Amino acid sequence: MARWAWGIGVVAWMGAVSAGFASVWSYASAPGVGTRAPATWPEASRLRLARDRATLLMFVHPRCPCSRASLADLEGLLSRTRGLAAPVVVFVRPRGVEAGWERSELRRSAERIPGAAVVDDDGGEEARRFGALTSGACLLYDAGGRLAFSGGITSVRGHEGKSFGEERIVALLTGVAADRRDSPVFGCPLDDEPTTKESAP
Amino acid sequence: MNSEEHVSAATSAIVKRTHDRFERYRRRTVESTDRLFARLLVAQWLIGILVALTFSPYGWSGRVKVVHQHVWIAVLLGGAIISLPLALVARQPGKPLTRHVIACAQMLFSALLIHLSGGRIETHFHVFGSFALLAFYLDWTVMLTAATTIALDHFIRGLVWPESVYGIINPEWWRFLEHAFWVVLCVGFTMVSCRRHLKEWLAAAEEGGLIEAMAESEWREHSVLDRQSADIAASRK
Repeated sequence: MARWAWGIGVVAWMGAVSAGFASVWSYASAPGVGTRAPATWPEASRLRLARDRATLLMFVHPRCPCSRASLADLEGLLSRTRGLAAPVVVFVRPRGVEAGWERSELRRSAERIPGAAVVDDDGGEEARRFGALTSGACLLYDAGGRLAFSGGITSVRGHEGKSFGEERIVALLTGVAADRRDSPVFGCPLDDEPTTKESAP
Repeated sequence: MNSEEHVSAATSAIVKRTHDRFERYRRRTVESTDRLFARLLVAQWLIGILVALTFSPYGWSGRVKVVHQHVWIAVLLGGAIISLPLALVARQPGKPLTRHVIACAQMLFSALLIHLSGGRIETHFHVFGSFALLAFYLDWTVMLTAATTIALDHFIRGLVWPESVYGIINPEWWRFLEHAFWVVLCVGFTMVSCRRHLKEWLAAAEEGGLIEAMAESEWREHSVLDRQSADIAASRK
């Protein structure tokens, strides 16, 4: 094969690989549908609001692989804030699936998080009540039931590490000022009907 | 031929021998390293697919599942990354282009595996392990290609998707220096080690070339003497 042909091959290869990586990173950086959380704790909710401290809710799709990172970051956040919030991980079981479907490895890893309460949400009733549409959505309510934060705590889809969401929650709980409010949520849609094209798994 | 010309001819013969010997060592090493990387790249591709199938086989939307993008990325992008290096190893073994493309592909595989493992800090060690393996080529320019590839990956991603590199959207301006420091340290020392190895090889090749030349000159001397003895013996008869 001639030298120029290898040269063309190298250029084509670099182009194809660059395009592949570009699609990888644009997918990883595309958040799911944002949370539409009520400003105050819904009265109808069966979830219990802690009266002595803030309550941190995380809604999780039991089989969303991206949410593994959300749970790992939640564990990190809780170890940093040491009991300043009561964490509740809500596993959303979609309508029409058999009982036990939500018993996944993800749920077992949530049960291992020290101090976290793990509850099931049959049919996604609580998720709808709290406006959580994407797996990994976090809501922080203060002891008075007022919404202090809503968003995600991973910086990209399925990747552990620092994020503005986590920093914001830590800042709110410890009383230190944080520099940014919006925190996108990265994860699988909790419901079957994606609201935007970015929310596709 | 006078004695000066004899010395000069002998010297250039030794230099040529040294050069040939050195190139033979080098070519053998480079070609075997090419073959090693061909096997390694295929193994990494299969591992990447296995990681994707184990940790993120499906993406979900409520109760609806689809094959996760990670699986497609592992199969297609991983396959694309290894395609050219494998073709070059098969058709152009030992050529500089082959090892530079391999260096580039190896670093791209680090980026891919880091992504597939969800950015696990442990997977970042693949970058440093790859530098160590690339040092098998004993070619510092290969290390430079690898370092440039990873630097470009960080630079471009830092501009377009900073959160994917540093985990946060507005990292401190000096954050890239921290990453670069470890790469420069690793590459710097392996480059020094490569040069040292090459020097040792050159010395060994020189020694070998000299011994070979001396042995040959002795053999020639002997054969001339043997021929002369045979001629004298024949004339006596």
